[in-house]
Amino acid sequence: MRERPHGADLLAIARETLRRDVLPLVPDESRYTALMIANAMAIAARDAELGERAARDALQRLATLLGPTRAEDLRSLNKELIRRIRTGVFRPGTPEHAAIGRHLWECALQQVRVSNPKYLERLGLK
Amino acid sequence: MGLSRTPELARLETFLGKAAETKVTVTDFQPLPGGAVQENWRLDADFAGGAFAGRQELVLRTDAPAPIPSSHDRAKEFRIIQAVHARGIKAPEALWLCTDQSVLEKTFFIMRRLPGIAAGHRVVKDDTLGGGHDTLAEELAVELARIHALDPRSLGLDFLAEPRPSPALAAARDFRAYLDVHPDPRPVLEWGIAWLEREAPPKGSVVLCHRDFRTGNYLAGKDGLVAILDWEFANLGDPDSDIGWICARCWRFGAVEKVAGGIASREAFVRAYERASGRKVDRARIDYYEVMAHARWAIIALQQGQRHVSGREPSLELALTAHVVPELELEILRLTQEGA
Repeated sequence: MRERPHGADLLAIARETLRRDVLPLVPDESRYTALMIANAMAIAARDAELGERAARDALQRLATLLGPTRAEDLRSLNKELIRRIRTGVFRPGTPEHAAIGRHLWECALQQVRVSNPKYLERLGLK
Repeated sequence: MGLSRTPELARLETFLGKAAETKVTVTDFQPLPGGAVQENWRLDADFAGGAFAGRQELVLRTDAPAPIPSSHDRAKEFRIIQAVHARGIKAPEALWLCTDQSVLEKTFFIMRRLPGIAAGHRVVKDDTLGGGHDTLAEELAVELARIHALDPRSLGLDFLAEPRPSPALAAARDFRAYLDVHPDPRPVLEWGIAWLEREAPPKGSVVLCHRDFRTGNYLAGKDGLVAILDWEFANLGDPDSDIGWICARCWRFGAVEKVAGGIASREAFVRAYERASGRKVDRARIDYYEVMAHARWAIIALQQGQRHVSGREPSLELALTAHVVPELELEILRLTQEGA
């Protein structure tokens, strides 16, 4: 059993404390560094919460899209996808091309949810 | 704050003294803010006599410990800045280059410090800077047109290389070459690069391009543009790629509706450029180079992140730079409508 609170939870409260109690006391020349630390903690917390799920989803979609292949983990599936992109097997205008496009859009979206969700808000995406 | 009299400082004074043929005393030497790695130092020095007699306000610019492969080293950047400054381009005046590693253990050059604000987030927020954003954008467009009008062969910069078979295809090839050595697969970028190859515009004129012409890389003074900074990427290329670069979302510093560097609409900037250059700009080529700008910055951000990830140069700022790649990838898919 892992002790509660778990990693994401700890990061969240640590970050809140940093922003609330420490940031106001930080001299101007270190403020940017303190904000970077808070940002890195926020990314780490979102990664702990969403990262694995995103990778699992990507693996599932990719396994279906690529059909039978020797690749099994996400890394080898991505390498296989890249191999096919480079050989030009996906022709614009075909359903395969559109399906890969949708998959990649979903991948990018899930990664931005971890790295910078505010970016999505500004675009009116979630 | 007192300046600590280190042996390094003494060697720097000796170097400056030899260069200016007089006795030199450094009175201030500290890192300038901005940049993942301190490359620029504020340097004030008293020159006892000679052509530089008196207090001089200078900038010392050093090589980065782990440079980006597509950038020039300091020695070449020094030559570029001198060459364009001599042609009347608004660039800093570069005074002395030091390749002797016994001085600061890395190559550096000295230039005159100029007034003005470079920080992107300040430039886009303050509409009084540069004589107001409209004036600033106009002056930037004029300066870009002047850079593009230089005859690159007359500059004596023999290391500039013409991208072949065309600037667009050479860039796509270089991006892919980097992804070949990057440890993690990046399918979205590969998808974007395939698009860049399919849609590559016909080769147009090839001119001297700044290749990092954007908000954050120029000094905005009270009344107008003071100087274009950071010439380390300058090379031969498609002039439209410089226009696409300043229009990339990452250089708007939050002022997203002002496409050209967060200070003007794209159309206003392009029209000012057209008036200054006398060249009609094909908007479709700018669309294309905007996509390329995001791909190029994504590749550079990956390289920056890798400096940290590889363990060569642990740095929070470099680590966070890697985390801008996803939004750049999303932007590539959005602009090309290759996603959703």
